[in-house]
Amino acid sequence: MLLIKPLINKTKKITMNKTVTINISGIIFHIEEDAYEKLNKYLTTIRGYFNKAEGGNEIMSDIEARIAEMLQSKTSPIKQVVLMSDVDYVMDSMGKPEEFAGESSDNTSTENDTKENTYTYSEPIKKRLYRDGDSKVLGGVCSGVGNYFDVDAVWLRIALLLMFFFAGTGFLLYIILWIAIPEAKTTAEKLAMKGEKADINNISKTVKEEAEQFKKRMEKYGEEFKNSASNYKDVPRNSVEKVVDFLGDILLIFGRVFLKFFGIILVIIGVALFFLLFTSVSGISFAQGNIDFNQWIELLFLDGKDFYLAILGIVLFIGVPVVVLIYVGVKILFKIKYYNRWVNLGAGVTWLIGLILVLYVSFKTVSDYSKTAKVRDNIPVTPYNTLYLKMKEIPINTQELNISDEDEEGERNYRSNRRGDNDYIIGTNKGVKYLLGHPQLNIIKSQTNEIQLVVVKEAKGGDKYTATERAKNISYNVFQSDSVLEFDNLFQVDNADKFRVQDITVILKLPVGKIVYLDKSLENLIYDIENVTNTYDGDMVNRRWIMTENGLKCLDCDGLDENEDEEINIEKNVKIDVNGVDINAKDAKIKVDSTGVKIHSKESKVTIDKNGIHVDSKEK
Amino acid sequence: MVNSENTKAQMRKGVLELCILSILSQGDAYPTEIIEKLKETKLVVVEGTLYPLLTRLKNTGLLTYRWEESTSGPPRKYYMLTEIGTTYLKELHLSWYELVDAVNKTINKQD
Repeated sequence: MLLIKPLINKTKKITMNKTVTINISGIIFHIEEDAYEKLNKYLTTIRGYFNKAEGGNEIMSDIEARIAEMLQSKTSPIKQVVLMSDVDYVMDSMGKPEEFAGESSDNTSTENDTKENTYTYSEPIKKRLYRDGDSKVLGGVCSGVGNYFDVDAVWLRIALLLMFFFAGTGFLLYIILWIAIPEAKTTAEKLAMKGEKADINNISKTVKEEAEQFKKRMEKYGEEFKNSASNYKDVPRNSVEKVVDFLGDILLIFGRVFLKFFGIILVIIGVALFFLLFTSVSGISFAQGNIDFNQWIELLFLDGKDFYLAILGIVLFIGVPVVVLIYVGVKILFKIKYYNRWVNLGAGVTWLIGLILVLYVSFKTVSDYSKTAKVRDNIPVTPYNTLYLKMKEIPINTQELNISDEDEEGERNYRSNRRGDNDYIIGTNKGVKYLLGHPQLNIIKSQTNEIQLVVVKEAKGGDKYTATERAKNISYNVFQSDSVLEFDNLFQVDNADKFRVQDITVILKLPVGKIVYLDKSLENLIYDIENVTNTYDGDMVNRRWIMTENGLKCLDCDGLDENEDEEINIEKNVKIDVNGVDINAKDAKIKVDSTGVKIHSKESKVTIDKNGIHVDSKEK
Repeated sequence: MVNSENTKAQMRKGVLELCILSILSQGDAYPTEIIEKLKETKLVVVEGTLYPLLTRLKNTGLLTYRWEESTSGPPRKYYMLTEIGTTYLKELHLSWYELVDAVNKTINKQD
């Protein structure tokens, strides 16, 4: 039995509690912090009752002596610390202040002895932010904050719930507060949680007190300064110390104000960043409804899961610092000193996971683009003196891929007519979606006497082999019927191959003396074909070209005027003769003849004839 | 519902002064001793009641006290009756018996 008892005591003592050393009636006690808070509050209340009574001090010291006696009987060399239960015992046997204080009320005298009152009211317990575990719904955050600001927790809960629908900010805020704010566990913490109301009166009171203290200190410094100045012999080091102290005090006050401000800024920035992150992520999720976007995700990432991993990684990588920002801000703002190692560790680990995910997915994806392979397919061509080259629209429903959000119609048309690296299209053929690309056609001089048609297929991959395979998998057709060569307007990428910058370049090798006719439809297919006259691609169509030793030479380019559209060709469009004047411009027409004058433009019409002057305008 | 506890407490409070003076008439005592005696007779439920009363009695001159060192705690305040206190107690005794008599008669008539 004797052996067991200390053991039990030991296990009880494992729950560590802070102790405070206090002096009651000249006797020293070690008392647990929460027990101390309770006892202190009890004594304060009693003091409040007897403060104005005659002999209040005496009553107080008698009571304190008795309490000291009782506590002393509760402690021993084995049990040195005063526990909560001991304080409860004291309070039980002493009774509630309101129970016995009435005794002196009928004898109240003038309050002239308040001056010599050596007791000072103990400072009202400073309010701190704690989570209220006693009246919680989830983590007691709302009830705790409600206690702090003296607001009914219900309103906070409703507000938070509403904020939940506002980009989920409510949820995030709740979680952060849950982590940042410690729960009130001990009685001392619970008292501090409910402490003095933090209303305007109170705040102004504390501000006044601080100002008062500051003033007093200033006066003290001034006094001491004077003293040290008059007592010139005084140690100068002392006054230097005073100045340092004084500056330190000022810095402290400024520091406190700044810290609060800093905390608010952190929280605001954090919430704003979170909102930004949330909207962009939800924007991406929303865009997923878009078929094109979905298609692109599938095309870009090796694995469909990679996209989600990447999103998750980015969210963690950016989100964790944002959350930490709010967390630190809240802690600074409410002076929460409580430190949780696991929170810091957890945040660090989560951030690292985010970083690793981002790195992993980007490395995996980018490495799949690292090698380029080219495959050359020779297509046999039956030789003719003149080959007619045309473009053939492949029968596929196409839709423009629009990754850069250029919704303007003009922009779109411009893009689709231009040949660039990003010109890829998602097309549907018999319900299956394909990635389609624009090929390029080039015509060069053949080194032999034969007409050669080479289709160069290009693709990227993680290694040479996959790149080559991908290149081979691109399907592209050129048909010949008699002297007509028809080039598909698009090439098609195998769906399993993803988007790996597949490209097709068709090279027609033409021996010297052979002629090609470039159909108008080729305008978007040919790309920078070299010719002796340096004619621009757009002007090469609708004409015949002959291959010479020096390159392609135009056969029908006589009378080609570069500025055909811009200026009026005098010979062709202006006629002045005996019949009158006849001018034909692009959008206007002026005719003067025996019947009268006619001026026609796009917008209006003016006629002068035997009927008089007639004006017709589109705009009325 | 009428709470009889409150009335009982009031009655106890009323006679507490008499009891304390009586206890002290048997010899000097410090508060803890007084409390223990009162507790035996269940006259005092909470100790806190005692201290304001003792101080008041001392201030009106019925009691006085002396300090005595204690081996185990803070010095003790030993209360004793003054001469005024002794005469006062005698008066109280008389009126107490008169009161008990009167009250008993009243109660018995009711039965």
